[in-house]
Amino acid sequence: MVTKEEVISKFKEAIVNGDEEAAVKWAKESISIGLDAYEMITKYGGEAMEIVSKMYEEKKIFVPEVLLAANALTNAIEVLKPYMKVETTKVPAKVVLGVVEGDIHDIGKNLVKIMLSAAGFEVIDLGRDVPLQKFIDTIKEVKADVLGMSALMSTTMPGMKKVIDMLKEAGIRDKIVVVVGGGPVTPEWAQSIGADARPRDASAAVGVVKELVEKLKQKRGESW
Amino acid sequence: MVEMTPKKRALLCLTGNKHKADRISCCDTLTTATVEQMLAVNAPFPEAHKDVELAYRLAEAAWTIIGLEGFKLPFDLCVEAEAFGCKINWGRIDRHPSVETHVFNDISEFKVPERIIEKGRFPIKHKVEEKLRREYGDYLPITNQVTGPFTVAGHIFGIEKFLMWTKKKPIEQIKEVLMMIADVNVEDSKEALRSGADIICIADPSATSDIISPQFFKEVLVPVYRSISRRLGAPIVLHICGNATAYLPYIPDTEIDAFSVDAQVNIAFAKQVLGNRVAVAGGVPTISALLFGKPETVRKAVIDAIGQGVDVVMPSCGIPPRTPTENFRALVEATKCMIYV
Repeated sequence: MVTKEEVISKFKEAIVNGDEEAAVKWAKESISIGLDAYEMITKYGGEAMEIVSKMYEEKKIFVPEVLLAANALTNAIEVLKPYMKVETTKVPAKVVLGVVEGDIHDIGKNLVKIMLSAAGFEVIDLGRDVPLQKFIDTIKEVKADVLGMSALMSTTMPGMKKVIDMLKEAGIRDKIVVVVGGGPVTPEWAQSIGADARPRDASAAVGVVKELVEKLKQKRGESW
Repeated sequence: MVEMTPKKRALLCLTGNKHKADRISCCDTLTTATVEQMLAVNAPFPEAHKDVELAYRLAEAAWTIIGLEGFKLPFDLCVEAEAFGCKINWGRIDRHPSVETHVFNDISEFKVPERIIEKGRFPIKHKVEEKLRREYGDYLPITNQVTGPFTVAGHIFGIEKFLMWTKKKPIEQIKEVLMMIADVNVEDSKEALRSGADIICIADPSATSDIISPQFFKEVLVPVYRSISRRLGAPIVLHICGNATAYLPYIPDTEIDAFSVDAQVNIAFAKQVLGNRVAVAGGVPTISALLFGKPETVRKAVIDAIGQGVDVVMPSCGIPPRTPTENFRALVEATKCMIYV
């Protein structure tokens, strides 16, 4: 008989190693021994991805390994989801995510999506190559709390600035947190275009967004 | 003394012989087209990607409007993907085409279409190069850009899938696919050289160190680039986006002539590592200087890059279409002022 601690540790290990089969196997095992599905995803899945992020940061691993880990977690989430008790109160915020127009590089965005979903955020993923107006329309439609934009090309980066300008024009800039990311996006540039933050990577994004949303809700109220 | 032409100057500088030239070259082997040029010569995106006459006018604008000392074709990175069968989103005047759909679900399905360089827009590119050569003779150099094997693999398989394969599939299989894409680059370049091109630029943005490890670069990509270099009798420029500092020690093994570096790479450091084995091109940041800066910002960047030992002054990456002409011209003017005495 395996203990809960063992299952959790094997589960995390499988994700860190990017071993999809093992992650699924230990996710199933966790259910059968009565572990909480929500906690498996948000707590232990999140912890595993934090380890992955740290290894990435220290250049011990690179994007292919990060993708394999994210892939393992995604598959484990699929297994765990049906066992999750829906608790809407746990949803910290609604996030609209997308890669700006002209840019099809969505690896970073997908990682952020996995991390935020794992942390319990409701993520509306607009995909890649997103027309700038669509960001604005979706934000208004769902009354989003957070906008996350990314670009990997210096040629498409200016699109982020345009979206922020469009938010200002529409008079809704202060209703929402804006975070940006992507290879060529520096914190200085993020600040200069009026974004709230440029998280270092996908796992850092969770903490940064949580903190900013808390501040936003104090200022703005629970919803808009 | 033989007259120094922009072409001779570019070839000397790109091959690490800048001191035999009168000054540093500013021949741009990366994207040159901007909206202001398109409007001035009435050859806008996306039409200019698909029409010989329009593409000719827009390529020529690099010289006639900006003063860049050379031409470059094509204007985008999707020629290979399109010929392989990817669906292309053609973009609009201020956005480059991008790949919409991938072609192969698995690596075992991979196949290079027969006579691929006669497909899609390869012939248009070669016709424009021929026309430029006819009109400008030997005065200005023409760069034929090929999309590098790693980036093309991302286009035809989907980059996430391909990256995971690099860890899950036998590495020999990955190498084989990249080598077969390199064969397409070589075939395309040979046709380009026959059509009048002088320089080959391998643009492989996806091979950035933001994505892959220096070890993968060294073990898998270096032999691929070397195979392209060895098979072509023309100066080869390699451009990789992002911070390629960790790749520098392996660059000489690619046997390319010039390495075009992005804004995150310190030019002086790159020169120190590469010494006189590979020339360094770049130096003018596309976003902070060319797009959002002032002519003064651009001039400062040029002077700084030359001071650090750059061999060819170029934008650090593909130029954003909305770059003002005034800023782009400042790159040329400042470079021309720096004459050796």
